[in-house]
Amino acid sequence: MAVCSAYTTQSLNSTCSISTPAKTHLGFHQKQVVFYRRSSKRGGSGSGSGSSSGPCVITCSAGDSQTVVIGLAADSGCGKSTFMRRLTSVFGGAAEPPKGGNPDSNTLISDMTTVICLDDYHSLDRTGRKEKGVTALDPRANDFDLMYEQVKAIKSGVAVDKPIYNHVTGLLDPPELIKPPKILVIEGLHPMFDERVRDLLDFSIYLDISNEVKFAWKIQRDMAERGHSLESIKASIEARKPDFDAYIDPQKKYADAVIEVLPTQLIPDDNEGKVLRVRLIMKEGVKHFSPVYLFDEGSTISWIPCGRKLTCSYPGIKFHYGPDTYFGNEVSILEMDGQFDRLDELIYVESHLSNISTKFYGEVTQQMLKHADFPGSNNGTGLFQTIVGLKIRDLYEQITSSKTAAPLEATKA
Amino acid sequence: MATLCKPKSCSQRTRLKKGGPVKVATLNQPWKRVSQSKRRMQVMKPVRAAPDSISEKVEKSVKEVQEACSDDPVSGECVAAWDEVKELSAAASHARDKKKDNDPLENYCKDNPKTDECRTYDNGSIIYIMTSFFVFGDENLELS
Repeated sequence: MAVCSAYTTQSLNSTCSISTPAKTHLGFHQKQVVFYRRSSKRGGSGSGSGSSSGPCVITCSAGDSQTVVIGLAADSGCGKSTFMRRLTSVFGGAAEPPKGGNPDSNTLISDMTTVICLDDYHSLDRTGRKEKGVTALDPRANDFDLMYEQVKAIKSGVAVDKPIYNHVTGLLDPPELIKPPKILVIEGLHPMFDERVRDLLDFSIYLDISNEVKFAWKIQRDMAERGHSLESIKASIEARKPDFDAYIDPQKKYADAVIEVLPTQLIPDDNEGKVLRVRLIMKEGVKHFSPVYLFDEGSTISWIPCGRKLTCSYPGIKFHYGPDTYFGNEVSILEMDGQFDRLDELIYVESHLSNISTKFYGEVTQQMLKHADFPGSNNGTGLFQTIVGLKIRDLYEQITSSKTAAPLEATKA
Repeated sequence: MATLCKPKSCSQRTRLKKGGPVKVATLNQPWKRVSQSKRRMQVMKPVRAAPDSISEKVEKSVKEVQEACSDDPVSGECVAAWDEVKELSAAASHARDKKKDNDPLENYCKDNPKTDECRTYDNGSIIYIMTSFFVFGDENLELS
């Protein structure tokens, strides 16, 4: 929905035709629409005679287009990650690559959301990075100016031509058109790196996987590939660590929510990475975001749901909730260690969590079941990702309702 | 290992779909066949690999790392080479998942759930079908 203001005093009850908007060299579409008024007299066209003269210019400022921008910092994925699929599923509808476009596009589009992969803003392609000896994590390999310009444009309701980074060939492909959605998610390595982009984000999430878990997951994923061995997988993680610690890790302190994935404490010396300890670190005082809590907000709770009312199998489930500080910010941390084996465990846990922004009882369980085949569906990763998805939906509804309220206030005044 | 043909065209001749053992004639380059099969025997047969082109890229990138890191393990070139390995492994795993998801019947049924191939039945309907088969079954079918 856009607010348009007409800049002439001409009455617009005669037929007008819309000219096609022009494109600037940066790939932005103009917001101005020029109406050419057809004269009512036969044979007249363009500027008519009499009192009507010239075209009337209408400038549409889509300032209240209500595109909510969410930033997700993650080392892997880029639109294809499980988190993205859970998030888009909360809003309904499946997210798919744009139809008819580049098959190697990283973008995902659903009814309400569009997910943009920040790898598309690489300034150097794979060969370029190899020549210069920089990784993709290095800010020198990314065009933050373009990222800022385009995210700002989409946020204000202007469609952009976004470049495509082809992960298969390692080249920068011709751009694709991105129309402003209701919710824009930018996913990648550097959503919060640039200060200007950070200010555009309505909510930001950082997915922090510990090294042990990362190693265990990579082994499961990459060992099937030829050319890989245990040593090469380990070496590839180690080699990227300096750049990761220097450029990516510092973004943690800016995030509104951090999902930290650690090895479990319930099984001694577990290195399979199957049972996980997941911590949801939620910043206090974020607009439109109220942290999830257990039993009593602001207190410290340790909770083992398995007992008389609920029987769990080994290793069971353990919860912890409490206030803390995280990089100098006040936060609340909700932690889950262990995994769900049965449906009733999940629903039991859900019934004891507060402030999860569900629309009906059992919504978290329903969402988890809908994607029972996704990795993490039986532990804290799936649970917290689903909860964060619901919080984002709540945030979106709060923002849109406050924005529609504002013009009403203005008209009343 | 010196290759006398361009790597891509060689591999297209010598690799089968699922990365199985080399069978295609390499009569003109018997030395190549020997080295290929030797490599094959040493490497564990993958359970489920990505489409070949990406798999080859992963393999090639791991080899390139050895060259880049032989001089200086902490140089920019070495780190960039490892980054490339990581990127290609991720692309390979995504391609694997995409291939896994591409069941033509499932894709067709997603859009056309009412067609005969895609109908799903509950218990009552199955009993109906089974009885109708016996009652109205093929006359040629002799139930002995």
